[in-house]
Amino acid sequence: MAPPVQVSPLIKLGRYSALFLGMAYGAKRYSYLTPRAEEERRLTAEAKKPDEQKRIERELAEAQEDTILK
Amino acid sequence: MAQFVCNLVEKAPVLVNAAVTYSKLRLAMFWYYAKVELVPPAPAEIPTAIQSLKKIINSAKTSSFKQLTVKEALLNGLVATEVWMWFYVGEIIGKRGIIGYDV
Repeated sequence: MAPPVQVSPLIKLGRYSALFLGMAYGAKRYSYLTPRAEEERRLTAEAKKPDEQKRIERELAEAQEDTILK
Repeated sequence: MAQFVCNLVEKAPVLVNAAVTYSKLRLAMFWYYAKVELVPPAPAEIPTAIQSLKKIINSAKTSSFKQLTVKEALLNGLVATEVWMWFYVGEIIGKRGIIGYDV
């Protein structure tokens, strides 16, 4: 079994500072992106509503036409 | 089917024991290396780290990095890549998801 390597302090410092910087970056970006995603979801739901209405009307019209007593 | 269940119940403890011993050994080895190689820098080591950083900046200023052999340069590049990967690991922890932001 090889003995463990003595890692240079610069590398250790670099690794752990990169780790904490990465955590901070990930958390910041997550909190930046969540409200934007909420907004976008809300907008697409709003845009879909008139389409839903039209679709429902169309289906009702077709259902009413579809009788045997023409 | 009953035979299968009987066999399983007989052999399961043996298998579980083997798995536990194997993983205990692996864990011990991991710990043995991690205690030396993966510990964070002690506060006393930070001046040494800053010295090494100054040396690197100096070698960049005076172009003495051109005296490195290609092999050394490749190894340094590999080490730098590994340090940069820790940044991505930190980002994974910060965004609490492995692939992509789960907004």
